[in-house]
Amino acid sequence: MIDLVGGVPLYILEFGDELVYLTPYTITLFLLALTFTVLALISQPEKQIDIAFGGDAYRAKEISVDEMRFRRFMAIACGLATMGAMVTGDIFNFTLFTAMVGITNVGIVAAVKSPHVQDAAYQYGLVALAATVPLFAGAAVYAAVTGSLSMIELMKGTVPAVPLIAKGMLMLGVIGEGMAPFYAAKAEMFRAPGAPYVIMCSLSSLLIFLRVVEIIMLG
Amino acid sequence: MWAQYSYGILVIMVAAVIAFYALARERDDLHKLLLLDLVEIVALGIIAMLGTDLAEALILPGLTVGIAELLALSQIYCTKEGIRNRPVMGLNIEVITKSDAPLILSIFLVAYGMVLSGFTGGGVAGLGLVFLFISRTYRNDLNLLEMASGISWAIWIFAFFVFMFLPQYWFVALMGAAIGILLKVTVKMSLVGTMWGKQHD
Amino acid sequence: MIIRKISHFLCNYENIMPLFAGACLLLFIAGILLLPLPYSEKQLYPKTFDRNSSLDPYDRGGPPFTQVSIVSQYPENSPTAGLVTSYLTPFSLFLSQVTMHLGTTIVAHPGGIIDEILYNTRGLDTVVEATILFIAFAIASYIYRKV
Repeated sequence: MIDLVGGVPLYILEFGDELVYLTPYTITLFLLALTFTVLALISQPEKQIDIAFGGDAYRAKEISVDEMRFRRFMAIACGLATMGAMVTGDIFNFTLFTAMVGITNVGIVAAVKSPHVQDAAYQYGLVALAATVPLFAGAAVYAAVTGSLSMIELMKGTVPAVPLIAKGMLMLGVIGEGMAPFYAAKAEMFRAPGAPYVIMCSLSSLLIFLRVVEIIMLG
Repeated sequence: MWAQYSYGILVIMVAAVIAFYALARERDDLHKLLLLDLVEIVALGIIAMLGTDLAEALILPGLTVGIAELLALSQIYCTKEGIRNRPVMGLNIEVITKSDAPLILSIFLVAYGMVLSGFTGGGVAGLGLVFLFISRTYRNDLNLLEMASGISWAIWIFAFFVFMFLPQYWFVALMGAAIGILLKVTVKMSLVGTMWGKQHD
Repeated sequence: MIIRKISHFLCNYENIMPLFAGACLLLFIAGILLLPLPYSEKQLYPKTFDRNSSLDPYDRGGPPFTQVSIVSQYPENSPTAGLVTSYLTPFSLFLSQVTMHLGTTIVAHPGGIIDEILYNTRGLDTVVEATILFIAFAIASYIYRKV
């Protein structure tokens, strides 16, 4: 009996032990990620302008083409990782895609030369690195307790119940990679110029968060 | 029921508590990075507690992700602290810079790495090249190495698709994957070797 | 008021690392309290030892080019699984016949169960992992050159 959390899988693509499956829920998230990746691909980056308060003086921030090209590459990689995390049907594979989202997020902001932004990117990178610990540990406990890493098996309900601690680890790991409740701190990173690319940071963390909720409800 | 598995997990979790406590109290940025490297081991420990062949295959990606993020973060740290002329130079030992010994050792390591193939082989061969680069302080352009890295990545992806969609040609895929990963790891490691030492313009 | 205080604390990015480490600390303490964990007897890819084999901890389970049985999640998706496992290069076959001390080095030669899992049955993991390495390297080399 298939549990109807995200809907019945409509399509299953097999890569050996790892299945990629599409449910109405994951299709929605996947399309959202796809749309924003295409937007990052085709849109022109913004130009930030500083205005001196109380006067007429203003100056535009100079951004090199090279930097923009690198950040666009990172934003697209981030979009691809998010799409992968949306459709994958394997717990460990999901944690790897999530780790990739984390590191591309760091890359999007770390390319900016401002020392303030670099400092924020470094602190965020530390959290992303620390978050791989509960992520991988959670996946390993899933494997030990249920004897399987496939989400389809979890849906069928033929495997033993997943303990709360494994779910907690998975959740905390995703929070760390996506910085879900720390948007106030993330705003520091958004001082980095280049609108479509920094939006990708936010969107990807939101999407992986939505996906992990579905995964946690499976077991 | 306290089986062996739970005892092992208990030990690792105590280690995790100690490590995260240290991390929560640490204020220095560099020390945070070093502590994180230690904390990573906890994750590998919990994976290892699975005790199956699967565990060994999961440790490898886990380890690589940790190393990759550490590489990027340490570079960000150098930039943010403004460390430009790092005091670490090539090995300025006369015997190593003048004689043929590093070359011979490197050739041996690269040849053995090719026999091994895969991740381990890439590590061994890469170590040979790193040794050669830091003893000779090569300053050639890195375009060729970067291109080799890209090509090897493509070979590996090709091998993956052969495995998935044309499983009867598994032997071609095995060799392609082994060579692709060998090249990739070798190139990555030797690039790290050239980043070592003097800043080049 | 309390929300404003919390968000004021959070907006200082120096604070997020200790905060996250503290959350992990609490989670792992909870983990200790919630022990013991059950361990499923039905595991994928179980480990077997044959102390008399010259390839001891990584015995391949048969001569090259024979399909040995491995416990994968979906055997029907990988019809050739087990062929990579038993494969030995001519060189490593020679080594395994002349010495009993090949031991763990054999895992680095092409073929074997680890290669089977990494390349074949769970190949997607390795694709993602290789990509993460690539991305991290791109970040490091970009920053290294631009500064």
